[in-house]
Amino acid sequence: MNTTVANKKVRSRRSLSQNDRFTLSAFVGFPTFVQLIFLWIPALATILLSFTYWNGIRISDIKWAGFANYKNIFLNDTLFYEALKNNLIWLLWFSLIATPLGILLAYQIDRKIKGHKIYESIYYIPVVLSLAVIGIIWNFMFQPGGFIQGLMGRDIGNAVSIWGNYKINTYVIMAVASWRHIGYIMLLYLSGLKSVDPSLKEASAIDGATDWQTFRKVILPAMKPVNIIIVVITLIESLRAFDLVFIIYGSSTSWPLLNILVYQNFAGQGISMKGAALAVILLVLCIGPIIGYLRTVFKEDS
Amino acid sequence: MTTEKNGAGVSRRTVLKGAALGGAGLVGGGALLSSCGKEKVTGDVHWATRGGGETGDAIAKSVNDAYTAKSGNKVIAQQVNSDDFQNNFVQIMQGTPDDAFGWMAGWRTNARADAGLLADVSDQIKALGTSLSAAAIQGATNPADGKQYIIPTTYYPWGLHYRKSMVADIGMDPENIATWDDFIKMCTLTQKKGLVGFALGDKGGWEAMGTFDIINARLNGYQFHIELLNGKQSWTDPKVVEVFKYMELLIPFMNKNILDISWDGMRDLLLQKKCGAMLMGSWFANDFKAKSQADYDDLWIVPFPEINPEFGVDTIDAPLDGISVAANGANVEGGKDLAQFWGSKEGIDAAIAGGDTSIYISSDFDTSSYDAFNKQKLAVLGAAKNIMFFLDRDTRGDFAGPVVGVAIQNFLKNPKDLNKILENTQAQWDALPTL
Repeated sequence: MNTTVANKKVRSRRSLSQNDRFTLSAFVGFPTFVQLIFLWIPALATILLSFTYWNGIRISDIKWAGFANYKNIFLNDTLFYEALKNNLIWLLWFSLIATPLGILLAYQIDRKIKGHKIYESIYYIPVVLSLAVIGIIWNFMFQPGGFIQGLMGRDIGNAVSIWGNYKINTYVIMAVASWRHIGYIMLLYLSGLKSVDPSLKEASAIDGATDWQTFRKVILPAMKPVNIIIVVITLIESLRAFDLVFIIYGSSTSWPLLNILVYQNFAGQGISMKGAALAVILLVLCIGPIIGYLRTVFKEDS
Repeated sequence: MTTEKNGAGVSRRTVLKGAALGGAGLVGGGALLSSCGKEKVTGDVHWATRGGGETGDAIAKSVNDAYTAKSGNKVIAQQVNSDDFQNNFVQIMQGTPDDAFGWMAGWRTNARADAGLLADVSDQIKALGTSLSAAAIQGATNPADGKQYIIPTTYYPWGLHYRKSMVADIGMDPENIATWDDFIKMCTLTQKKGLVGFALGDKGGWEAMGTFDIINARLNGYQFHIELLNGKQSWTDPKVVEVFKYMELLIPFMNKNILDISWDGMRDLLLQKKCGAMLMGSWFANDFKAKSQADYDDLWIVPFPEINPEFGVDTIDAPLDGISVAANGANVEGGKDLAQFWGSKEGIDAAIAGGDTSIYISSDFDTSSYDAFNKQKLAVLGAAKNIMFFLDRDTRGDFAGPVVGVAIQNFLKNPKDLNKILENTQAQWDALPTL
């Protein structure tokens, strides 16, 4: 039997016509080429440049710096630790609050609670906006002279400090970012839930499981592929966060994130390869957990 | 470790005072302008207007049309976002830049000229002849090679701005706010009325640099300030600590949302009569005029008050602006020709006809038609014998914004951390690569 399967495989591979092969290699080759040119080569160049001093202009000016840029970041740059903290808060907030809330919403809407269509639309609306647009909207609301300040009867001079108030601005930014993230997760999860066989739910209900038990023991495991996507999205969204904060604070680093520091040191007025080193640190932070997570997931599968 | 990192010595920064006193020799100069004897420059020229909205476009159109009428060369102009243009300058200049554009003298010109991104305009400056004072040319000269890469055109003073009517309201003489005590008294009395005594916004991270500049110059003098920014003095020096102590004295008079507002927020506070005074460059005066002539007439500027009698009010932040030419432009010679036109009498006249209210450095510029506020701006400039270009033009770009701007913001957040902040600032200077 084994041999017949093998034979079949061989035959099916052989049966690819010249045309098919061309199409296939074009489909595989072109994206690979684009990735190579626009992603891998620049990424490798960034890694190399992070070990140099350079102002980004003449190639001949590049000077070897060893680990000096990294040393400078880890030893002197207080902003780096602040940014790391903010990224971490973002990650924790998304993992522990925003994502679970999105899942909960999806579950409730899937159960067709009263008015679920309305809820679905309301939570879905922010998802169609980019974070940059969301930044513009909420900046307009909260900034001195903005809409909400106006409602409270505050003018610019005595406006409630929100973006510049370090006791609350983190939470405000988290709330604004979640506004979109919750809807996004809800949407993903909802489409996953719809594909779960309803008979599973019925069976567990007949067996006397509570709602919570059904969700945890039956539905969650059945949704494994969606769960993986959601974990990865939550991780990536938290680490790559940039646009929302950039719109609110501009290129100043009043509420630093790793990406904003990369921008400030790399694309700003004082180009230095400290930006490259920061980008590499961010790359490692992004890739590490995701590779780890995917590996454990695929191990379980096989 | 801490020397020569700026690639710019102290020597270049001499006085522009001569220019402020200009206007006297406004006749004559014009004859020297025409580039006679030279081959005629031809071809379309690309011009970038750096911000300014409709006013900026109107001024550029007026000047560029006059240039086209004179030379027969077409000018293709576009307006670019000022901040984006600054932040991406190096990339833009390495791509396909517009031939000529408004730019800023100081580190931002010299460092980019050293990198070969800007074209040498020394010949054009020579052609402009005596209309530019020696001091103005000195201010535009790159110390690395003694050439000019910017044709200086305008500048503006950073000073204490307030409304005359509001100062009169608290029983003080608006024409006579000269000493630190006057200033504090003014802030105190304004605050008693329930207003902001001294407005500050630093959301952008650069606005408060002006306050640092001027207090440092008043307390420790121009020489110390420039040496500090060039790494020849230490940020942990007690003299620097003292500067921040003076800033701390002002915090109680400030609005409570410093890090929420930018320079336009400060402007609005003064425009809406919600604050007593603020320290800023007078470029915003046009906005007062746009609101009403009465508001504009009420606006006043004086030099930041004296703190240390040894230095009086001998220094001012007066960033020098001008026209630069991209070395990689499609029509470099055309760009130079257009840049020269912008600096010439005909160019200045066209700019003013287009609605420009800037102070021109050129002695071809007639100051007799100045209104009271502009005359006062000239007086404020004239009172100083040392000109700073503002912190982010007086020191290197990878130090100004990413390090000093952040340090000042952190100080405003938590003044108690001062010593830690200054130690860190010095450590970050020490870690900079040599240029």
